[in-house]
Parts: sequence; C-alpha cells; structure tokens
Amino acid sequence: MSRVIGIDLGTTNSCVAIIENGQPSVIPNAGGYKTTPSMFAVTQDGKRLVGHLAKRQAITNSKHTIYAAKRLIGRRFDDGEVQRCIELSPYSIVRGQNDDPRIEVGGKVFTVTEISAVILKEMKRVAEEYLGEPVREAVVTVPAYFNDAQRQCTKDAGRIAGLEVLRIVNEPTAAAMSYGFGKNLDEKIAVYDLGGGTFDISILELGDGVLEVLATAGDTFLGGEDFDRRVVNHLIESFQETEGIDLRDDAMALQRLKDAAEKAKCDLSQRETAEINLPFIASDSNGPRHLSIELTRNSLEGLVHDVVQGTLKTVEQCVKDAGLEPSAIDQVILVGGQTRMPLVQQAVADYFGKRPHKGVNPDEVVAVGAAIQGDVLVNKDESMLLLDVTPLSLGIATFGGHFAKLIERNTTVPVRKSHIFTTTRDNQSAVKIRVLQGESEQAIENDLLGEFVLTGIRQAPKGEPEVEVAFDIDANGIVSVAARDLETSKEQSITVNATGTLDEGEIQQIIEENELYEVAVK
Amino acid sequence: MSAARGAAPTGEERKPSVSPDCDPARLDLTPAEGYLLSRIDGATSIAQLRQIGGLPAGDVGTCVERWLADGVLVVEGGELGVTSQERPVAEAPLPVVDAALDLPVDTQEAVREFLGRLGAPYHEVLGVDFDADARAIKKAYFGLSKQFHPDRYFRRELGAFQDPVERIWRRVLEAYELLSDPATRAEVQKTGGGATGTVAEVPPAASSPLKSARRMRARLTTLAGHRKMVSERRRKAKGFFESGMAAFRKERWLEAAGSVRLAIAFDPQNEAYRAAFPDVQGRAHEERAKQVLKEADACYDLGDYRDALKFYEEATHYRPFDAELHHKTGRLAFRLGEDLRKAKEYASSACELEPECAIYHRTLGQIFAGAGLDANARRELQQALRLDPKDAEAKEALRAL
Repeated sequence: MSRVIGIDLGTTNSCVAIIENGQPSVIPNAGGYKTTPSMFAVTQDGKRLVGHLAKRQAITNSKHTIYAAKRLIGRRFDDGEVQRCIELSPYSIVRGQNDDPRIEVGGKVFTVTEISAVILKEMKRVAEEYLGEPVREAVVTVPAYFNDAQRQCTKDAGRIAGLEVLRIVNEPTAAAMSYGFGKNLDEKIAVYDLGGGTFDISILELGDGVLEVLATAGDTFLGGEDFDRRVVNHLIESFQETEGIDLRDDAMALQRLKDAAEKAKCDLSQRETAEINLPFIASDSNGPRHLSIELTRNSLEGLVHDVVQGTLKTVEQCVKDAGLEPSAIDQVILVGGQTRMPLVQQAVADYFGKRPHKGVNPDEVVAVGAAIQGDVLVNKDESMLLLDVTPLSLGIATFGGHFAKLIERNTTVPVRKSHIFTTTRDNQSAVKIRVLQGESEQAIENDLLGEFVLTGIRQAPKGEPEVEVAFDIDANGIVSVAARDLETSKEQSITVNATGTLDEGEIQQIIEENELYEVAVK
Repeated sequence: MSAARGAAPTGEERKPSVSPDCDPARLDLTPAEGYLLSRIDGATSIAQLRQIGGLPAGDVGTCVERWLADGVLVVEGGELGVTSQERPVAEAPLPVVDAALDLPVDTQEAVREFLGRLGAPYHEVLGVDFDADARAIKKAYFGLSKQFHPDRYFRRELGAFQDPVERIWRRVLEAYELLSDPATRAEVQKTGGGATGTVAEVPPAASSPLKSARRMRARLTTLAGHRKMVSERRRKAKGFFESGMAAFRKERWLEAAGSVRLAIAFDPQNEAYRAAFPDVQGRAHEERAKQVLKEADACYDLGDYRDALKFYEEATHYRPFDAELHHKTGRLAFRLGEDLRKAKEYASSACELEPECAIYHRTLGQIFAGAGLDANARRELQQALRLDPKDAEAKEALRAL
C-alpha cells in the first residue's frame, strides 16, 4: 500500500486527509487544528512562518504576510483580478519576468507558485508528523473553474514542495466523492462550493459506483474574502462618517479591520448581532480614536445580498447545462466555510426547493475526497470511478479573430479531439496556432494558453495544405496540443505553457534554492 | 497466388493484422474467407495462416495478398502503405495476449474482442439496442467506463495494450456523448448509426472546423441506411454461425470457433451465438493447444529452446488449468535463465493449480534461489520435502542455500 495524501489547497485555509484502513481521516496539525491558514510570512529577522504562526503575527507584520495567494495563481499581471488584488493587499505585488504577478516580502520576490508550494509543503509536513513516515505522493484539489494555467501552476507548486501530484481534482467533485464514498447511491447531486476565494457549482450523477460530473460552472474570483471586503468597506465608511478619518491607507488598521470583519461575519452565522471593538485604531491631533460598531445579521445580509444572488445565476446556468430542472436534484451539498452563512443556505434551499445535506463538514470534505481519489488510483480500489469534465471550452484563434471551439465545456476528460485546418493565404509556409480557453466567440476575450508555429508547409494555393491539430485534455484538466502537417507528416507538439507559468528551468532553480534554505534552518 | 509464392521468405513470416480502418461488415466475404479473416490477429504469420486458415494453402496466400493490396490488412513494420502514412494511430496491430503484463488475461481478451467492433455503429459499441432509452445508454456507459477508463489502469504496465485501451475509451466516450444528446442521436440514427473505420477519423480539409453534427454527417454519408446495414450484418452473422456449426459437427474446432466469433462480431445482440461460443471456444483452444504443443516439442527436440518456450507459453494461454504444462514452461524459462520473473509466474501457477505436487514446489524453490530470494526458496523447498521426503534434488538445493 502506498500512502497518498489528499490536500485541499484553499484560499484562506488548507486541509490534509488520508485513507487509513479503508477509512478517510482528516489529519490535525501540531496545534490540533484540522485546517491550517494558507498564510506565509517573513519576519523582521528573516524567519519564515507558515499557517497559524503566520496568521498570528499578521497584524504587526501585514506588509510581509501573504494570504489568499491562490487568487493570483496562474494569472497574468495585467489581469483585472490581479489589479484588484494589488489595490487591496497590504503586501506588494510586482510584475515578474513572465508577466506573472510576484509577491515581494522580506526583501525577496516570490512567485505565486512558490507561495503555494510553501503551503503544500506545510501540509505535507503535517501529514508526515502524524504518520511518522515520509509522504511523497498527493492528490491536490483546485476550484473546478480553474483554467489550464492555474492547474499547471498548482501542479508545479506540488513538485516544488517535493510531492508527486498524482492528480489535480476539482473541489466540488472531491466533495461529492467524499459524500458518495462507501454508500451505494443512485442520485443526482448538486455541490455548491463557496470558499474563501472561489465559487464553484457542479451537478453530478452517482450510480453503479461511477461518479459522473454532468456540468460545472463557477467564478474563480468570488468567495468569502469578498464578503469580508464588503464588511471592511462598511466599517471604513462608518468610521469616516463619525470620525472623519480614512483608514484605507493604514496597512495595520486595514489588517485589524479585516480580522474583525471576518470574525464578525462568522459570529453572525450563529447570532443576530456582533460587536466590533477596535480600540486605538487611529489617532489625530485630538488624540486616539476607537472604532466601536454593532453589526446585525440583517445589515450583513444587506451588504452581501447581491453577491449571493449572483452565485444563483451561475447555478441556474449549470443546472441548464446539465440538462436538468432544479427539482431533479436529489441532494444538495454545501462546501466551503462561507456556506455556513444562513443567507447562503436559505438562498440555495429556495432555489432547489430542498434543505441542503447536513452530513458533511464543509471545511474538510474536499481534502477527504482528494484522499479517496488518491487511494482509488494507487491501490486499485474499484469501488469508485470518477468521470470529471473540463470546465472551459478549448479551441484556437482562427482567421478574423474568431474563436473556434474544438472541445466544448463540460466534456468528459481525458479527451482527445483533432481537426484539420488550412492556410488562408497563397504560398503561406507557416501556421501560427494560438490556443485559447473560454466561452467567448471573440478570440481576444478568452484566456490565451499558449501559441506555437508550424513551419515548412508546402507552397500551395490557400486552402490546399492540411494541418491537423490534436488537442488533449488529461484527467487533471491540463491541456496539450500537437499539430501535424498531413502532407509531410511533420509534427510539432507543445505542452501549453501559459504566459503566467514557470518553465522547467525556473522550477528547478526554485527547488534548489529551497534545498539551500532547508539546510540553512537546520 | 504467384505473387505470394514469389515473395521473399520474410514475406511468409509477415504477421498481418486487420486494419482498424476496415469495417469487415463492408467486405463481401464468403464464410470461408470470413473465417480466414477471423484468424488474422497480428500475431499469426502468413505461413501459419496457410496451415490454419481453413482454406487450401494457395487460396490463403491469394486472399491475404489481395487484402493487403486493398488495405484491409496491414503489416506492422512493413513497407509504408498509404493507410499507415495517413493515420499512424491506425497502424497498431491487435495486441497479443501476454500473461506477463499487469493486466488480467481476461481483460486482455476483452480488449482484443472490443477492438474488433470498434468501428461498429455507436449503439453496438455501447452494447445497447438501437432504440435503447437514456437510462440503458447511461448504464452501459458506466459499465464500460469501469472497464476501460484510463484511471482503471493508473501506473499499470500495459505494454501493447496501452494504446488500444485508450482508443476504446475514446470511442466509448464518443458513442456516449453522441447518443446521450437527443439532437446528435437523431443525427446519428438518421445517417446510419455511426459505424466508422477509425476513432481518430477526421473529415477532409475544411477552412474552419466543422460543427460536430456536420462532421458526423460527412463521416456517415458514405453508408447506407442504418437498418439496412443491420439486417445485412445479421444475415452475414447467420451465415458465419451456420458454417461454424457445420465445422463443429465435423470436429473442425478452430474453424468453428473462428466462424462463431465472427458471427458474434457481426450480431452482438444474438443470445444463441453467445451461448454457443464458450463450448466452441473451449474445443478450439484445446485443438490449438495441441498444435502449439506439437510445435513446442519439435523445437525442443531440435534444441531450439527459446522457440520451444514461446510455444509453451502460448499453450499455457489455451490451457490455463494444466499444472504440468505451467511447470514445464516455468522450468524451461528458468533453465534458459532469461526471465526469472516469468519463470516464477509459471511455476507458482503450477503450484497453485496442484498444491500437493512436490516437484512443482521444488522448481519454484530453485527459481527463488536463482533470483536470490533465499527465504522464499527455503519455504518452497521445505514444502517440497514435506510432500516428498525422498526428493534428493530438493535436499541438495536446500543444502546449497
């Protein structure tokens, strides 16, 4: 039996699980917590901290404490979402050499992949301490709506952390796996996954030990952090109104506000009101000022109502993509800490016309599912088979800036499809293939995964040469493309490397650097 | 015929296989020719086909040469034909059953059988009726997924079966995707059920990719209406089955099994064919085992031990219950010193089949000793001596340890 751990690499918290004697269990960290904050910090004296330690010192060291790096992974620096992060983050985000966002803390610039690797390594360590033996293999989860680059970066992060990532699994799928594990069910399931930074909805069918994803949709930039941000803005505005001081430029105050907002939000899932008390939050010529605001559940719901309604639009699209009516869903599973909010639960219950399932722990269920998939793969467990889909349509840019979809979204993976393309000019000797992922008809509005050039095409009138382009999406949702000139059988293949991902050399360099660092701390 | 006779000796050693581009249903064959086609599996040489093809040796050559020329058959590693240039995916011959692979022999047989009907209409690929409902289609798809999804073979050593398994999965997925969507299904059914030469088939050049429905139409226009094709296939299946039964009555087992297998390939729904098959196949296996063993013994007598081993191995496939044969094969593999793992597999099978035979345990013990696994060797040799305390060879081997 090889031991494979399942890691839920979350935006705010991460979790690790394993299968022991056929039973899944979540592994607690040294502090006894089953989840670990996805935070990394470098202290004044250059010490690196991860998890709870990093979180605990975040207020006094906010400029050098990284949280929610998952929101940046696999994106390009110019991406609108990245720009939004730059505005809101106390840590500094700079442009990297691959046009990727990088984070500068403690006088060193880290790639986002490296930060994720630090978190994965921490989870690996938690598992190793618990098991008393080294762990080398893992299944890591990602939001279902992650594109190729985001998946690729997550996989690279695993390698940097010293893990062989056997499979990248979609978070809602993992949750459904955990739900169906050991039960002989014949059901249609909806998984509503609202985590710290991302939102996913998946519709699945379970039967005969096969779990088939019918459709998936989501938003990789919507989650509990957005709820917190609404609360923080509300607090800032109230404070400005009463005290006339703008807290937006005060990094330490912002961090305190963020912590308080998150805590109040969680409290309001249990209670009707929450007190927010932040003494000495600011000072001016009149002396120190204190922030003291009472927040009610009603007012919180007012602040985030439109966000919750927005998720339901995505749910509706997904149910339609699955070819079903909401009433056909037998079971609704809620995943992610943000689904603890009564408003979210009510909205989902109203939409599907039934109460969500209560039996799973929304913080742990994803890691458990990942562990199950690892066990199924490695230990030849035939009790469950997963048929997952690709969340985004894949294709290439064609003449006139159009996007030719070759693999539609919600196609079961692994999948391979090929098509024949031709030249658009007489005597054209090279074809440039731009690989895109997304749903827009216009090439430019989709994510560019990569591009390559097929050269040496025979001189011929336009439309005569034939170039066959074959697209593969593997079980991880990672894309590879090969093009072949049918006349010369000349072949060119690329592993699609999006602009934001690291190349092999960079990964090796980081691994070596980390090794040096390990030696240094011992 | 003259062409075949004039061919170089290597020509006779060529091992043709049926091109995946070829749909046997579209060939107009006599039952005898159909039988010959059923013998062609990428593992049997033309020389062997002359012996077992069920036709006069000369006619076998003529047929094979004609099919090669027509692209019905392809030869791996042979001169590049037009077919293989266009579609390298399609070149692969039917993989040969190999007990050393990390894949049960049953599954290997299932893969070989499935490859034979990869080009059948979509509903036959899924093994459902033409008018099956959505539920039946999904059930069939789930069942086949459990058998052929790549996750089932994660990290397994599949050898020549790697590519076929992937091809089958892709074809199953394609069939399910098209039949589970009412719109594409209507299109498929209108145009003939989706029988096609090859999984990776693409339509001729177009300036932009065609939508899937249009692509399908292009692929299917060459075929006549589906119902007509099905009844045609059934008619042929019946012919094969009748000639198979006739051969069976005349105790020509190999010919009988080949014909019945072909009948099933042409009409997978027919229960009678399926019911008759195990008995026919059992007899054919026995017959084939006898032939192969004769070859093996002949090679052995001539001192061609390696060739003999190959034949013995093949024979174990046909006689999986024969402990003595497994032992013999394991012992020979061991003596040749080529592949101890293989030797061990055969010797342990022999022990499993007949646990009370001292000699089998002795051989297994000697193999373990040869592989340096002393603890295992000691266990087996002690077991041998328990069963037969007078076994001097076992005593000697145990002492040597």
